[in-house]
Amino acid sequence: MEYEDKAGRPSRPPSPKQNVRKHLDFEPLSTTALILEDRPANLPAKPAEEAQKHRQQYEEMVVQAKKRELKEAQRRKKQLEERCRLEESIGNAVLTWNNEILPNWETMWCSRKVRDLWWQGIPPSVRGKVWSLAIGNELNITHELFDICLARAKERWRCFSTGGSEVENEDAGFSAADREASLELIKLDISRTFPNLCIFQQGGPYHDMLHSILGAYTCYRPDVGYVQGMSFIAAVLILNLDTADAFIAFSNLLNKPCQMAFFRVDHGLMLTYFAAFEVFFEENLPKLFAHFKKNNLTPDIYLIDWIFTLYSKSLPLDLACRVWDVFCRDGEEFLFRTALGLLKLFEDILTKMDFIHIAQFLTRLPEDLPAEELFASIATVQMQSRNKKWAQVLTALQKDSREMEKGSPSLRH
Amino acid sequence: MGWGDAEGMLWTRGLLWERVWNAVGNFLFKFLVIGSAGTGKSCLLHQFIENKFKQDSNHTIGVEFGSRVVNVGGKTVKLQIWDTAGQERFRRETYNSLAAWLTDARTLASPNIVVILCGNKKDLDLEREVTFLEASRFAQENELMFLETSALTGENVEEAFLKCARTILNKIDSGELDPERMGSGIQYGDASLRQLRQPRSAQAVAPQPCGC
Repeated sequence: MEYEDKAGRPSRPPSPKQNVRKHLDFEPLSTTALILEDRPANLPAKPAEEAQKHRQQYEEMVVQAKKRELKEAQRRKKQLEERCRLEESIGNAVLTWNNEILPNWETMWCSRKVRDLWWQGIPPSVRGKVWSLAIGNELNITHELFDICLARAKERWRCFSTGGSEVENEDAGFSAADREASLELIKLDISRTFPNLCIFQQGGPYHDMLHSILGAYTCYRPDVGYVQGMSFIAAVLILNLDTADAFIAFSNLLNKPCQMAFFRVDHGLMLTYFAAFEVFFEENLPKLFAHFKKNNLTPDIYLIDWIFTLYSKSLPLDLACRVWDVFCRDGEEFLFRTALGLLKLFEDILTKMDFIHIAQFLTRLPEDLPAEELFASIATVQMQSRNKKWAQVLTALQKDSREMEKGSPSLRH
Repeated sequence: MGWGDAEGMLWTRGLLWERVWNAVGNFLFKFLVIGSAGTGKSCLLHQFIENKFKQDSNHTIGVEFGSRVVNVGGKTVKLQIWDTAGQERFRRETYNSLAAWLTDARTLASPNIVVILCGNKKDLDLEREVTFLEASRFAQENELMFLETSALTGENVEEAFLKCARTILNKIDSGELDPERMGSGIQYGDASLRQLRQPRSAQAVAPQPCGC
């Protein structure tokens, strides 16, 4: 079509060059035109035969180019139709979420129909709302509380930037130096959170929001403080929610047992989570599990990044959001199920790799990871081991490890 | 890491740490890059592996990996590099995941550990807070090798890794390091990993891995 537009353009000031080939209905884009040019005056003219041959070659090229353009146009049309279909289905999904599900949240959210729709991915326009509802607000955090925490954080930033360092009584035990280091680290890490998006960095539109949420959280939970990985979680929430609501979701999300275990770097509990993961790993992928064992590839090597950032750093962002969708619905179990889905998806190549290549592969997943294939793979992961569900396996392991800790002093003697 | 508080923000304390493995006649050296947050550990690694500066990088959560085969003094050596997260709290977790060879290396005593101190971001000379003299004196006192590097320009990055590798090979040649003995240490390392993983309360904090 572009080509016809160009060719059909009738009135052009004729330049000497165009004079030469104005009888042609095609404006060549490249040097192919040169073959039609008459030779410069100081050289002998082309023989008629050669000119004829060149014309023929040129026309063949034009035919080929036309074919290519037609093909390209068809491809684009198909793509457009595909996108329209997708947009239509998203549009329909938005309507369903807005008109049917959200107004009847309590009764509908766990129905079969909603679960199916949920698995397909929540449309971005309702995503934040659904996440908020699914995460809940067990901590009863209000917008006012957020404002108070934020005000306190701002006070602190001001205080540190002007060099003062009075220690407030309520924070006894968390030294001023610790807090200053934490504030410095937040600043540093914000600049290193999705840097390629260029929206969270200094001067970017979401910089202050991210800074606010992380700062407010360190005031809300000084016992946890800022831990690397948090900035990615807060950033993903900011992309879907207003600041105060993002803070509420952030705090409640981090308050979940698995997240608390990791962000408090509770070593024993983290190992229990890894052990539970390995139970399901062996159950679902026995061959790969044996291969990992043989290569001394422990799950912490790849799970730490995946769990701490809820996949937002390791998966393409839109895909990470789909993982979040189901994580908000199914809880921690889905994080480990996703991990198994990933391992399963790449089982064949992983089985052929040695330690360092597996470690490199899993800590830097392919950028073009196909969403549908991953979700299909996750769907086939069985989260049941000898009739025990994730929570039961985890509880049993936790009990074991507690008993062992109790028993270990006597064992040592 | 017991590096004291003399460090300025622009001074990367990248410690490259190795242990030797004998893999079918070729050497496999493991390097560990540790240091405070934002000092350029991942950028050092990226510069060494990819030969370019990593512009927009996320901060590391957990561990990231790199590997490169180098030729040192006519020998082929595979370097396996573990690049760790910078936050103190995180670091302990990383160490535990490295427990297998860390404890092993520790039990095999300090002569077997080769450490190089990298003062990174050499290109930011205007913001320099630690003089070359101070840092090299510190390195001497602690028996470390020392180089000032720039992951941005690539200055001394390759040298830092190669210097480490060369030193290890020299120690092997002089008999100071015995790969065979280290090889037998691998199995011992696995056993100590199992021991370490069980009595958690006793090992809540990973021990300081550097022998100085």
